[in-house]
Amino acid sequence: MSDGTGSALYASEVSKTVDGPDGRLTILDRVSLAVERGDSLAIVGASGSGKTTLLGLLAGLDRPSSGTIALAGERLDALDEEARARLRRSRVGFVFQSFHLLPALNAEENVMLPLELDGRDDARERAADALARVGLGARRHHYPAQLSGGEQQRVALARAFVHGPDILFADEPTGNLDQRTGAGIGDLLFALNREHATTLVLVTHDATLAARCARSLRLREGRIEASAAAGEGETIGKADGGMSEATRRESQA
Amino acid sequence: MRPLAFAARSLRREFRHAELATLAMALVLAVAAMAAVATLAARVERALVASAAELIGGDLALGSPRALPTGLAEEAQRRGLAINHLAQFPSVLFANERSQLCEVRASDAAFPLRGALSVRGADGVERDAHAPPPGSIYADHAALVALGVAVGANVQLGGRELAVAGEIAKAPDSGNPFRIAPRVLMNLGDAEAGGLLGAGSRAGHRLLLAGDSDAIAAFAAWAKPNLPAGARITTVQDAQQNLRNAFERGEGFLRLAALLAALLSGVAIALGAQRFARRKSEEVALLRCLGARRGEILAALLLELALLAVPACLAGLALGLGLQQLVFELASGLLPGAPPELPWGPPLAALLVGVAVLFGFALPPLLRLRDVEPLRVFRHDLVARVRRFDVLYLLPVAVGALLVLVGAGSARLAGTLGIGFAAVALATLVLGLALLWCVRRVSTRLRGALRFGLANLPRRRALTLLQTGALALSLTALAVLGVIGPSLLERWRADLPPDTPNWFAINLQPEQEASLRERLQAMDASNVNLLPLASGKLVAINGHAPVAAEKGDRRAGDFIEGEVRASWSDTLPEANRLVQGRWFDAATRRPAISVEQVWVELFDLKLGDTLTLRFGDREIAAEVTSIRKVEWDSFRANFFLMLDPATGAELPHSMVASFHLAGDGAAPLAALSRDFPNLSLIDLNAVLDRIRDIIGRVTSAASWVLGFSLVAGMLVLLAALAATADERRFEAALLRTLGAHGRQLAIAVLAEFVALGLLAGGIAVAAAAALGNALAAGVFKLEGYTPPLGQLALLVAAAAALVAFAGWAGTRRIARTSPMAVLRRA
Ligand SMILES: Nc1ncnc2c1ncn2[C@@H]1O[C@H](COP(=O)(O)OP(=O)(O)O)[C@@H](O)[C@H]1O
Ligand SMILES: [Mg+2]
Repeated sequence: MSDGTGSALYASEVSKTVDGPDGRLTILDRVSLAVERGDSLAIVGASGSGKTTLLGLLAGLDRPSSGTIALAGERLDALDEEARARLRRSRVGFVFQSFHLLPALNAEENVMLPLELDGRDDARERAADALARVGLGARRHHYPAQLSGGEQQRVALARAFVHGPDILFADEPTGNLDQRTGAGIGDLLFALNREHATTLVLVTHDATLAARCARSLRLREGRIEASAAAGEGETIGKADGGMSEATRRESQA
Repeated sequence: MRPLAFAARSLRREFRHAELATLAMALVLAVAAMAAVATLAARVERALVASAAELIGGDLALGSPRALPTGLAEEAQRRGLAINHLAQFPSVLFANERSQLCEVRASDAAFPLRGALSVRGADGVERDAHAPPPGSIYADHAALVALGVAVGANVQLGGRELAVAGEIAKAPDSGNPFRIAPRVLMNLGDAEAGGLLGAGSRAGHRLLLAGDSDAIAAFAAWAKPNLPAGARITTVQDAQQNLRNAFERGEGFLRLAALLAALLSGVAIALGAQRFARRKSEEVALLRCLGARRGEILAALLLELALLAVPACLAGLALGLGLQQLVFELASGLLPGAPPELPWGPPLAALLVGVAVLFGFALPPLLRLRDVEPLRVFRHDLVARVRRFDVLYLLPVAVGALLVLVGAGSARLAGTLGIGFAAVALATLVLGLALLWCVRRVSTRLRGALRFGLANLPRRRALTLLQTGALALSLTALAVLGVIGPSLLERWRADLPPDTPNWFAINLQPEQEASLRERLQAMDASNVNLLPLASGKLVAINGHAPVAAEKGDRRAGDFIEGEVRASWSDTLPEANRLVQGRWFDAATRRPAISVEQVWVELFDLKLGDTLTLRFGDREIAAEVTSIRKVEWDSFRANFFLMLDPATGAELPHSMVASFHLAGDGAAPLAALSRDFPNLSLIDLNAVLDRIRDIIGRVTSAASWVLGFSLVAGMLVLLAALAATADERRFEAALLRTLGAHGRQLAIAVLAEFVALGLLAGGIAVAAAAALGNALAAGVFKLEGYTPPLGQLALLVAAAAALVAFAGWAGTRRIARTSPMAVLRRA
């Protein structure tokens, strides 16, 4: 595991410093981790502990100040921004706390985006299928402003999985939602993850959501405080049952 | 919350953002353009009135072919006006056994009431003077040369011996260049005593008045119904029509430039305000959440805008006043005695326009901020639903329309621009929808980034149409400022080509025609034109004594009372165009006459009417067989009346020649007048130079303002476009996160902008060309103008390329920054 090409995701001694108004600030300090294919990792920690920063680095959205990261078998430091973009397009999916759907595009068009970027001809059909899978087949032509938060996040999930990524990065996907809707989104996320056999990296401060990941890692002030294989038992068992009560109700709305 | 303090703090913090800077810059530009042009127009108007008064020698003139009743002068004096009696007549002066026909003015000592008479004495020194004392005259250089006398010598006039007391260097003058005979000024008492003004003389009488403008206006109103038959009133507004026309045309150009600048600013302000409002909505939600009331928030927003507006308007005002000073200096040489003080009305009006533009264009998006839900703070998905239509959007349209109406200063300019811009908006809507339809068809067959970029257009239909509209309007405005304006000015300058006739020769005998032609050819004269001239009197129209038409002006009286001149020619002379009827040919029933349009208006003539004219002892009743339009500013010998050649040939007549002679031509012309002693030469160079000078200065002043508006408009357009490109930046960041590579983004954005640019550019070229034609024909009265389509296309292509580049550059920045922005943005 020394060069990380065997893992889906591998980080070694990754640090990030920024030059702020009051001098240099270390926001991530020598973080190392590895996630195997099909595995799931939860990154937890207090607000400001560096979770989003780490996620951005792992997904290749930003460059670390030091340390190496390998994603889907490729060393990110060897790739320029263009090459990293190509890697993201084909292998990576994203879910954001604030959904980030383009307001000018309707649900279907938002889901088509990753496919269109790839120049796929069957984008529309596949987007329609993906929307049907998240229970929004009837809302295809609605714009984000016409959808509730939970519905928007489901569109975002469809967008994240539509092109069959190898690895999915999610930053607090339930952070902007009420508990019940959030739970539904969590169910859907894990269900899709299993169907697509996707590797999952999930940032959250929701303990139950974190508990559904195979492993979890706690950050504190930019350092790994604890790393553990988290409770598989009840949570995963429950997720196996498919969609929760809440999700089912939302899909009927 | 204290709205004012809050607004001030917000403004300080937010000025860093481009949209407020755009807003401020656009405002500076709008106020500067309006202030410069309105102030300039007001100053030129004042200067024109002042210099016109100088030219007619008073603030008001009453003229009559007979002596004016004394009651008029008494009433004027009773009203506290200064008066001056004048008589004017042609008379022959004798000295040294020579004689010369001169235009004589006889005046009491009050002359001149306005302007200056300056006379050169025997010592060669120029002094300001009044009319000469009894027993003496002042004569101009031409008269002295013709008579071969110097100051101090005696001449005979009206049977009396009079001393030449000085040479006229400069005199207030009604300035008809075509009646230039040598001039003489004598004492009114001498003229009366010598019987020069008695019955049967050809003297015209004038009463000149001066005083404050209210008293003058009151007197004019009183005098009008009390005038004896044949008398007429000349106001300063009537005088100097030449100069006034040139300035009015120039003013039209300036107003056009200012209006377009203000409209461009409006577009920029609208775009800036929209962006400002969008960014502000989060803050407003937070404030609402923290307990601020809607009214307070609105007050704070408006105050912030006002705080921005005050310094921007003042800066615009300073810039505008500086600019108008510059232009005024350029033109002031044309307006001797122009009052130097600045009128304060127009700058104030410009400030008002600035405020109207700011609030008119910025208010709609800001007012919507009132409706932001406080809940938005917690739920970002709570975006206010987009209402399809809002009356608020009519506000900028109304303000724009009002601006055109008020700023144009003429209904024609306002109408032309209004219709032009409405047509652009309509064309955008129709062609834009057609383009979207086509794109939707075509894009399914395209692949990759191109398809993605084009597909963006129909997806954001309303936005696409709005942007195309704004772009098309701005490009049209730029094309009018950058191409149409300068080419119209160029066309105006060409009104007086270099070989415009600058000499007239009159009194030539018909048998001298061939030898004169030869001589002129030997002198290298060009543009030679020789026509016969017969002087006569208008006796009757359709058998009745002639009366002026209702809408005919004072010239009708001149023709009824005075002399009329007619000419004839086998072919229609140059600079003449037939409007109705046919030119004379073998089939014409004689005698026949062709009249100029002005006469048609003065006497309500139509084809088939009969004009009875007396030439010497012959009376001719000629039928009107055609109506002509003459280009009077062609400086050729032109005539209101042209007889059929056969009839004309039988009349006693002389010949007139007009020709162009390069250089001053002193030597050959001196030889010419020696060999043709009966010939009188009239020098038009001074008049031509003056008109060329006017056109030159007015057009260069107009080019300055056009250029200023063009540059400023360009800057504003770029800033506005940077703003819309910036809107796409987040979208680009998200696409980047999802894995789009830089080239894909660039192609997508370029495809979108090129499609937009082509459509808007095409509309702008067509609209600018149409506006150019309409402006030339309807507003500036320039005939034979063709808009330079090549230049138009070039300018618009350059502007569209600039637009595409700006859009691309705005999105390109994201390719270089980290896509982390997406994770960080709430
Ligand atoms: N560009 C930056 N400049 C300065 N500080 C930053 C920057 N990005 C992140 N930080 C700081 O790094 C810390 C970690 O931020 P973040 O990764 O967003 O935390 P989390 O997602 O765990 O809440 C915070 O204190 C944040 O203020
Ligand atoms: Mg975070």
